[in-house]
Order: sequence, then C-alpha cells, then structure tokens
Amino acid sequence: MVGSPVLFVAIPLLAAFIIPLTGMIWKNSVRIIPGLVLAFMFALSISLMGYVSEHGTIVEVIAGWKPPIGINLVFSPFTGFLTMLMTFLGFMVWLYSYKFKRNVDFEPSMKYFILLMLLVTGSVGIVLTGDIFNMFVFIEIVSISGYGLTSFYTRRDSAEAAFKFLFMGAIASTFLLIAIMIIYSQLGTLNIADIAEKMPLMDNKLKVLSLVFFILAIGVEAEIFPLNGWAPDVYTQAPGPIGAAFAGIVVKAAIYASVRLVYTMYDFGGAFDLFIIIGLITFIVAETTALRQDRLKRMLAYSSIGQMGLVMIAFGIGTKEGVYAALFLMFNHAIIKSLLFFSGSYLVFNKKNKYIKHVNGMGKYLPITSVLFTIGSFAIIGLPPFSGFWSKLAVLTAAADSKMVILIAVILIISILEAVYYLRVVNRIYFFDKKEKTETQKPSINALIAMICLGIIVLVIGFYPDLISGYLDRAATDLMDKGNYIKEVLTINK
Amino acid sequence: MNIIILILILFFLGAIITAFSGKISALVQDILFLIVLVVPAVLFFTGVDMNTESIITFSQAQLTFGMTPLSYYFSLIVMGLAVLAGFYTVGQMNGKKRKGYYYLNYILSIGAMFGILMSKDFISFFIFWEIMTWASYLIVIYNGKNVQKIGIKYFVMSAIGAYAMLMAIVLIHSITGSFLITDLISEYTGMTQGMQLLIPALLLIGFGVKAALMPLHIWAPDAYSNAPMSYTAIFSGALSKMGIYGMVIVFLSLLSKVPEGALIRDIVAWLAAITAAISTLWAIKQDDAKRLLAYSSIGQLGYIIIGVAIGTPMSIIAGLFLAFMHGVFKSALFMVVGAVEKQTGTTDLTEVTGLIRKMPWTFLAALISIIALAGIPPLGGFVGKWMLYESLILSDHFMLVILVFFSSTAAFLYCYKILFGFFLGQEEKEWAHVKEAPAIMIVPMVILSISSIVLGTYPQLILKPINAAMMSFGLPDTYGNLWKESILFNKWGNQIALAPIMYGIMLVFVIVTIFLFFRNRSRTRYVTTKDISTSGEIIKEHENLTFSRGFFQPFLRAVEPVMKRQIDKYMLSFAKGVEDLFEFTRRIYNGNGQTYAIYAMIFLIILLMFGKNLLG
Amino acid sequence: MEGILMSILGAIATFLLAFVVGMTYGGIRRKVIARVQNRYGPPIYQNFIDAFKLFSKTTAVHHGAMHLLGPAFLMVSAVVALMIIPVLRDNIWFTNLNFKGDLIFLIYIMTFGPLGMALGAGQTGNPNSAIGVTRGLSQMVGFEIPWVMALVALMIKYNTTSVVDLMNVQNEVGQWLIFQNPFAFVAAILASLGMFRYAPFNIVGAPTELASGPASENGGKFLFTMMSAGSVFAFVKLTLLVDVFFGGASNLIELVIKTFLLYMIPVMYGVVNPRYRTEQAVTYFWGWPLLFGFLAIIYSVYF
Repeated sequence: MVGSPVLFVAIPLLAAFIIPLTGMIWKNSVRIIPGLVLAFMFALSISLMGYVSEHGTIVEVIAGWKPPIGINLVFSPFTGFLTMLMTFLGFMVWLYSYKFKRNVDFEPSMKYFILLMLLVTGSVGIVLTGDIFNMFVFIEIVSISGYGLTSFYTRRDSAEAAFKFLFMGAIASTFLLIAIMIIYSQLGTLNIADIAEKMPLMDNKLKVLSLVFFILAIGVEAEIFPLNGWAPDVYTQAPGPIGAAFAGIVVKAAIYASVRLVYTMYDFGGAFDLFIIIGLITFIVAETTALRQDRLKRMLAYSSIGQMGLVMIAFGIGTKEGVYAALFLMFNHAIIKSLLFFSGSYLVFNKKNKYIKHVNGMGKYLPITSVLFTIGSFAIIGLPPFSGFWSKLAVLTAAADSKMVILIAVILIISILEAVYYLRVVNRIYFFDKKEKTETQKPSINALIAMICLGIIVLVIGFYPDLISGYLDRAATDLMDKGNYIKEVLTINK
Repeated sequence: MNIIILILILFFLGAIITAFSGKISALVQDILFLIVLVVPAVLFFTGVDMNTESIITFSQAQLTFGMTPLSYYFSLIVMGLAVLAGFYTVGQMNGKKRKGYYYLNYILSIGAMFGILMSKDFISFFIFWEIMTWASYLIVIYNGKNVQKIGIKYFVMSAIGAYAMLMAIVLIHSITGSFLITDLISEYTGMTQGMQLLIPALLLIGFGVKAALMPLHIWAPDAYSNAPMSYTAIFSGALSKMGIYGMVIVFLSLLSKVPEGALIRDIVAWLAAITAAISTLWAIKQDDAKRLLAYSSIGQLGYIIIGVAIGTPMSIIAGLFLAFMHGVFKSALFMVVGAVEKQTGTTDLTEVTGLIRKMPWTFLAALISIIALAGIPPLGGFVGKWMLYESLILSDHFMLVILVFFSSTAAFLYCYKILFGFFLGQEEKEWAHVKEAPAIMIVPMVILSISSIVLGTYPQLILKPINAAMMSFGLPDTYGNLWKESILFNKWGNQIALAPIMYGIMLVFVIVTIFLFFRNRSRTRYVTTKDISTSGEIIKEHENLTFSRGFFQPFLRAVEPVMKRQIDKYMLSFAKGVEDLFEFTRRIYNGNGQTYAIYAMIFLIILLMFGKNLLG
Repeated sequence: MEGILMSILGAIATFLLAFVVGMTYGGIRRKVIARVQNRYGPPIYQNFIDAFKLFSKTTAVHHGAMHLLGPAFLMVSAVVALMIIPVLRDNIWFTNLNFKGDLIFLIYIMTFGPLGMALGAGQTGNPNSAIGVTRGLSQMVGFEIPWVMALVALMIKYNTTSVVDLMNVQNEVGQWLIFQNPFAFVAAILASLGMFRYAPFNIVGAPTELASGPASENGGKFLFTMMSAGSVFAFVKLTLLVDVFFGGASNLIELVIKTFLLYMIPVMYGVVNPRYRTEQAVTYFWGWPLLFGFLAIIYSVYF
C-alpha cells in the first residue's frame, strides 16, 4: 500500500491552512498548490484502487479507536471508484479554471481555489467515511464551501442563489442531525456497519421516521424533486467550472450517501421502489423543465438533475445490473456534464444573461469548443458511438431484466425530450448566424486541455467501454454485498 | 484481420481523414473521398462471402458481424449507390462551403449502413443505426435552413423509432439472454403471446420511421428536400431501404411464424397503401421538384412495404425488386434535380422551363428514370409493379390492388409535371445561359438510367440474389416457379416474357421512327417554341406562356376532400401542446426560496404519510 | 422460319385490319353526330381522305427531338397493344403474338402512348398543349380505377390474368362474361367512356376552347401517325372489350358487328351530353362506375 485513505482528508485540509501563508510569499502558489493536492489525491486513488482490486477493501482506523467506537474510512471498490472519479474531476476543474480566474484579484482567487479543494475533499470524505456523524460533518464542509463558491461573484443574483442554497442546506442539516440523533438514541452507535447490523432491533416507526429525515436531508444535496429548487440558481450563478464540480462531484457524493442508507444501513425492501418513484418524478420534471429553458446553464442544470433522477431509478432497480448501470451513468454523467459545462461556459462567455441564443454561430469562432460541446451533447443524449450510449443501454437492460416495461417506455420517451433540447443548442451553434457584436473568448490552453481530455474519454469509452466496466462490475458487487461490508468494518484488527 | 471489420475501419477512419484533408487542398479531399468510397466497395465485392464472421466481445454485449444473403442483396444497393452518388457528389459539391463536414457525414452514413447490414446482433445493429441517424441528421441540416423545425422533426421521429427499437432490443435480451438476431428468431415461437406481438410491433415502429411509413413519415418530405440532392439520392435510394431491410427480417422470420402475425401484416400493408395513395396526391400538388420527389419517394416506399408485408413469395420478390429499382431510378431523379439546381440555381418547377436542348443528357436520364418510376413497360419499374399486382390479386388483397393502381396511375401526373416543368415548355431567355452539367455528374445518372433499362429486360440479374435471400429465410426456391431467366410467371400459369417485349417495342419504335423521318428530317427545320399557333396571336420574345402554375388544379380540386387533413399538422400541434404543457412544470421552479422550503415540507409530509406503507 | 414469317405477316394483317376498321368507325361517328345535330355530315370514308391528304404532305418545321418522337411513342403503344390482343379466336392470321395477352401489361402499355405523346406536346411550347395534357392525365386517373376494378373482378373470379384464358372460359361455359358478371361490364363500359375521350369527356382536345389541344403544332406525317394511332387504339379497346365480355369473335363479321355495337355506346352517350369540366370528369368516374366496380369485385368474391 502506497498511502492511506486518511491522506484524502488530511492533505487537503493541511493545504488549506498552508496556502494563505505561501500565498504571501509566492502569489502563484495559491493556484498551483490546490492543483498539486488534487493531482496527488487522484494518483493516490488510482494506486489504492490497484491495491484494493488485489487485496480487498481497506478499512482505515483513525486515531486508534477501533470501530464501532472510533471513526473509520472505508476504501472499497465501490467507494474507491467514486473517489477516483471525484478526484479526477476535481483535478479537471482545477486545470480548466487555472487561468480562468487570472483576471480576478489575488484574494478572490485564493478563496476560489481553497473552496474548490475543500469541496472535493468534503465529497471524497462523504464517500469514504464509515460513520454517519462524520458524514454529517463532511456534508457541512461541502455545503459551506458550496455557499461560498456560489456567491463568488459578489453580485446580487449570486448572493440570492447562495442564500437559497443556504436556506435549503440549513433545513437539510437540521433534519440530518435529527435523523442521526434518532439512530444514536435507539442503537447507541454511529458506525454505519454497526448500525446496519443492529438495524433489525430498531422500532419500525422510528426506523421509518429516521429514513424519511435522512432522505429529506440528503435529497437536498442529491437534487431530488422537489428539493432541488436551489440547484438551477446555483449552477447559473456560480462560476462556470463550479457547475461542473456540483454536477460531477457534490451530487455524486449525495447520491452515494442515499444509496449507502438504502443498500447498507436500512433493510426496507420498499425503499427501492421509493427510489424509483422519486427518481422518475425528478427525471420527468427536470427534463421537461429543461426543454423550456432559455438560458444555457439553467438548461444544463436541469438536465443534470434529470440525469441524477435516472441514476436514482437505476439504483432503485436494486439488482446488480441496476447498480452497474447506475454507476456507469454516474461516471458518464460526471465526465460528459463537466465537458458540457466547460465548453458551454466558453460558448456564452462575456454574455450578460447567458441565453441559449448567445451560442448562435459559435461554430465558426470557437471550432474546437463547439465540436466538444457537440460531442458532449450527442453523448449525453445516448447516441452511439459515444459513451452515454452504453450507460443508457445498461439502464434499460437492467430494467428489462427486472420486467419493468413501462419504466423503459417512460425513460425512452423522456430521452426524446433530452435529444430535442440539446440538438436545438447544437443547431444554433452551427447553423445560426451570430448577431451580436460581443467579443468571443478563446479558451485558454489549460481549459482546452481539460476539455479535450474529457472529450477523449467520452470517445474512448464509447468505442471501448470495457476500459471501466471491470471497475464498475467490482464496485457493483461490493455495494450489493452488505454482509461483507459489515464484516470487513467490524472485524478489523480483532 | 477480418475483412468486414477492415471495411468498417476504412470507412470510419477515412471519413475523419477526408474531413480534415480539406486543409491541404480541395482536390486531395475529393480524391480521398472517392477512394474511401470505392476501395471498400471493391473489397466488399471481392473479399466478403457468406462465411466471413467476426466477433468483438465487450462485457455488456458481443458484437457479431457477418453477411447473410439478404444483407448481401441490400449491400448491392448501398455500395453501388454510394459509389455512383459519390462521383456525383464531387461534381455537385464543387466549390461549396463545409465540404469536409459534408463528406464526413456522407461517408459515416454509408459506413453505418454497411455496418447495419453486416450486423448479426442487435447491439451493433442499433449502434450503426444511430450513427446513420445522426450522420444523416447532420446532413439534413447542412443547408442551415429551418434547422430547428426540419432537423428536430427528423431527429425526433428517428428517435421515436430508434427508442422503440431499443426497447424491443432490451426486452429481447431479457427474454433470450442474448442480443443475437438468430437467437431471437429461434426463441420467438416460445415467447408469451404479448411479447410475440409487442416485440415485432416495436421493431416495426423503428423500421417504419426510416421507411417513411404513415403516420411516421412526417419528417420525410422536409428532410429529403432539405438535404443536398447528392445526399438525398442516398437518403431515398439506400438509407430508407434500411427500414425495408429490417422489415423483411421482422416479417419473414418473426411474424410469419405466429397466427397473430397476419393481423399486423395486414395493418402494415394497409398503412403502406394509404401512405402510397396520399403521398402521391401530395406529390402532385408540389411545385418544388425536391419536395415532389420526396413525396414520390414516400409513395414508392409504400409499394415496397406492401410487397414485403403481404409476405407471399411473389410479393416479397416484388417488394425487394422494387426496393432495388427505387434505389436506381429515384437516385437518378434526385441527381437530375440536383444537376438542374446546380446549373439554374432553383428547383421550382414553375420557374425553370425548356432545358431539354440545353441539358440533353440530364433530360435523357430524367426521361428514362421517370418511365421506370411510372412503371411503364418495358423498363425495370414495370417488372416490380407487375409482380406486385399479381401477388396482391393472387393473395386476395383486392382493395389493396385498387389503391395501388390508383396511386401508380396518379403518379403519371407528377411524373409528367417534373419532366414538363424542367425540360419542356417554352424556352426562355432567362435560362439561355444554362449549360449541361459537368460530366462527373452526368455519368452516374446515365449509368443508373441504363441500369433501369437493363433490369427491365434482364430482371434475372437481381432476381437471383433476391431468390438466394428468400431461400435463406426458408422460403421455397422461386426459380422456374415464379421466374425463369427473363420470364415471369404467376401461380395461375400466366406469364410475361420481358426480353421479347423489350426487343419488340424497340423494333416497332425503330420502324415508326424511320417511317416518320423518311425523306422528312432534312426538310424540317427547328423553330423556336415561341413560334407556335396561337390563333393568329404572335408571342413576343419576353412573353412566357408556359403553363406551369396550378398545373393539376382541376384534379386537385377533385381530390380536395382527401387532402384537407394533414397528419403533419396534427402532430406538430400535438408537439406544441406538449411543450406548452411543460411550461407548467417549468413554473414549479419559480425562483422563490420560500416556495422551495414549502416544497420540502410538503415532501416531508407526504413521505411521513405514505412512508409507512411504502417502506414498512 | 415459317412460323416467324407467318407471325410477321399476321402482324401486318392485324395492323391493316385495325387501321381500316378504326378509320371507318371514326367516319361513321362523324356521320352519326352530324345526323343527330341535323347536319348532313361528311361521307363515311372522309377519314381516309383526310389521312391520305396528311400522309402526302411534308412537314416543314419542328420544335425539337421530343416533339418529333411524340407521335412515334403513340404509335408504338398502339401497335404493341394490338399485337398482344387476340383479335379473332383460333385464327392463325389474327392471333396475338405474346403470352396470351396479359391484362396488367395491357393496362400499362396502353398508357405508354398518351404519355409519350404528352411529352411531345410539351416540347412544342404551346400552352394549350400542356393544358390539354394535364386534363388528359387527370381524366386517366379517373377512369383507370373502375376499369381496373372490372378487370380485377374477372381475374379473381377465373384465376387468370390473360385475355386468352378469359375467352376460353367463356367458350367452355358457353356464356359470355357480360352475363356472368354484369357489374364488371357496367364498370368497364363506363370507364371506356373516358378512355375513348369522346364527349362529354373530350376535355383533352376540347375543340372549341383550346386551339386543338395536344395535337396542335403537329402536321403532315406526324398528324397522320397520330390519327392512325388513334384509330388503331379505338380498335384495340373495342376488341379487348369484345374479347373479355362477349367471348371474342370467331370470324371478322362477328367481330365487326360486336365492336360496332359496343362502339356506339360511347358515341351515343357523347352525342347527347355536353362536355364536362375536368374535375367533373374525374369525379364522375368515382361515382357510379366506382360503385359498380365494387359490386363487381364483391360479386366475384362471394358468388
């Protein structure tokens, strides 16, 4: 083992304290150090994944207190996969925005990078931790850095968006804490594995109550309907790359948390149906709403919410194929939606309201960005040979194997809407004439590299999905095997 | 490496290289384009046989490629047209913008069609199907006119079809555990009755969209007329045949095995007949040659679908033969329109007149192809029509015969309109400068016209592969039974010998022509088309008396009741209604934080109310 | 060798017969119309005089290749149609040349000529020609439907698509098809009204409105060819009707009587009816004729 999962939390937090100090000495360090940290985290996750695939799950105990009393970090194929994805995206966001904020002053840019780093750290923490109170702490870290990033441009609108987010986040935190209290009062433990083991002992009413509170709390971050009202505003008002970070990292962590609840902690079979229902409603409402948007980022935001609904549906199917499909969707969504946010930001750069009509004729001025946006659109619609196709196929196959015919039909019908609004944008990029005189912003070299990286991943996975299907398969097996999780966490070093 | 994979890689790499080679020089790009089309065709005809099979394994699916007799037959259409239309394209696109973009999508769609035909499993079939869809979509919007309406309409209809197909595919996989087409066929009879109907129905929706079957055809007139003509030749000639290809498989290997299949067959056949009749009427109404041919294509595809859907050996031969013929003559006609468009700048039949002496070769190609389209003996179109009528009469589909007869007679009207509009009528100064199209555009048209004549005389050239394809589906050998060399039979023992007809007609024609011109030709002199008998009135140079507006007005008045209602309009207003409905869901997000908090509380209450039932 | 020679001679004889009979009928028609309108009218052989006059004239001008070929198309279609129709039963001189006269082929080859002519007329540049052509094509769509229905009704009843087989059926049963399926006959004869293009369906030529329809701009030999092709066509249609519904004819006298009687139907109908407008002509065929066509098919299927 080359490193410990603890480093995922320790290094960025340490860096966050150091950066203001080094920034006094060398201004550029505030940009470079977060990048190095994120790159390190990504590299670490890759090497740990290699270790895990050979030796099995790593359970890291913090400060010597063994589970169920102490806090522990679990790096299993499932959590490890998500960690890898998140750190990779975090690094991409950093790469993309390295020069993006050059025209901003030193202090805001320091805040931006530190907050970004903490956002990633918090999300990774949510995924890795094996303790629900610890999870609560990480959710708070994510939320607070999210509020900060939303209001990064100190404007009226962004302040309003941040306030809405804060408002919903506060509600979420309250209920989360209540839920944790219920659990602790009943079972006397905060360790997820321990809770899972003792769950049958709990009173059924309280069990339902606590799960409902959990769903409400985590649902806010997971952007499920109707708790996602804050999301479009935040995506629109936050700096462009942060949209990608939210869509690709934060939401994934929240989805992880809710999945962990249903798959591991609780033993309700009906929870899966609840997942499907919530997912379906979220999917339908978000996609239909996206169709009627006139601003690019809002459209992408609603599309992102819709995709998360689809992920929920896939998890709700409850079979291994379903989990596989859900993970594949999460992966694809993270990559593709980031690509869309990245390239979309440039297409409407310098425009006041970021209307969709501002992309008119951009194909001529920003050819590479436009092509990448087009690839992203085609991929998210699920057209072969791009990566989105395989995940959509996986979802549908999983649903078909569980005999959910109507579900397939609904997913496919809504997918047509998705195709419509994305193609409307693509048509505008290439076949409309640019009317306004505003300057177009050529993407900086680092942003271009980040986008091209993502574009290549979309294509490569599209042509050869087996590159990640091994990871996905192991992760799915890991999540489905609840008993193994409990065993591995509780029997460590005993 | 397997040759099929090699061809596919050639297509896809070649497409990308060709697209970017425009940076070097336009000539290099053109040559590369042709190479990428010709080399795979040569490889295909020399290297691929029925035994070549290759498998690519992914964790999610196994892609199997190989050729069947049926796909060989359709590959003939695709590969042949791709090369001919490729040469034409080079001529037509000369000096146009976005050539790389166009070439890229052209080659991609050809490659995708080839991939579809070579796929032995549904996943690769679907992948190539979708590539074909988006590549053709990108060409449809190439002109940049009305992209949001025409392009989206095309894509949405395609997506409806493709997703119906995808649904069928995942259902098949859940039942058989495999994506192979042969596994579906072998396990089909063991399925539940619901699935036995649902799966073919979904597949037929998917194929019906591409084959422009009513009511899924609404994209076709716009898409066909909006794409550049060199691509529409492929679009209507080859791409639409992919739908036919799928339908043949569904009808022959699935629906013919269960008794309930007969109902679906009859429904599809009737839909196709109505499609043919209505779209023919709409074609007559059009004043734009592109749209006219687009509607005509829909009508012709209707005949093909009827033949395939009826499902007797003779009707299938008729359908498949017509599929080939339609590829030949309709592509030639779209090329003609493209040539006229390139030389005159318009395709409006009411504007262009009297090109016959300026573009004689184009006219010749148009004339022969129109005769073939109209189904007049002795050209290839008649062979297919004859078999179609005979098979419909012999299989007791009397009303269908009448409907088909009506549409093919009405087709004469638009056939005449397109010939008269472009080539005949008074010669105007406005078009005096028009020259014949370049040779690279003429040659493919002429080759296609010659094919029409040859196939009318020697239909056995393609009846052989059709027969092989049908025998691979377990149908009886039709050689000597329904056709023998150039003689066609029906089950009642009636027959028609095509080669003697051709020679006879040629002989009589030559005799009459000699009679007419004997000691006559040298004394007649050409006079302008303004020098005509108009009851003593003398037409001045600037007066154009050509009758071209409201060409078939009286006829259209007669059929007006049928044409009042348009599915297109209903569908569009439905789509608009749906979009307006979404405005309500959009209002859910009203941007007010307090409302969102209320939503959260309502959500909580609902969960608490129902949570016990749902979770407990 | 002898067979081929016989066929060629037979073909020439058939053609001459058709020409003479058709021309004479045309003359009779002119006479009949004149008498009904209380005129004296031209002599019955007037058509031959006209033809001879036209034949001996030379043509001075033309409007292009299609214009010249138009009459040729018309003639080819008439001759080919004539060649595959059995004129007399069991007669080596007037037999058909090819595969027992397939009905579907006949229907199509009979449309071939008018379409070729239409192209020729189109190239003249005369607007009246084009107007006439559009009217003619529209009318064709009208009358083809009941015509085809009548034929289909017979085909499905007797399981054949050939004229010869239909004639044999009538011989074996000893009853003409007009009695076996009267509805089919009514539909066919109503359709033939349009096919002959006499009043009230003479909208193509429309002598008083259009200079002279598609035939304008043609003269001399070309007009002669068109005229004789028209006569041959008339003979073809009449013979076909006789073959199908009246059991054919075993000798020339029988043929002439039967065809003449049939010929009088469109002529007489035309004499007493004013000309229709185009849409009236088209919709006319979609009324009663169509109904009879349906009845014919229903009768064939169920009785």
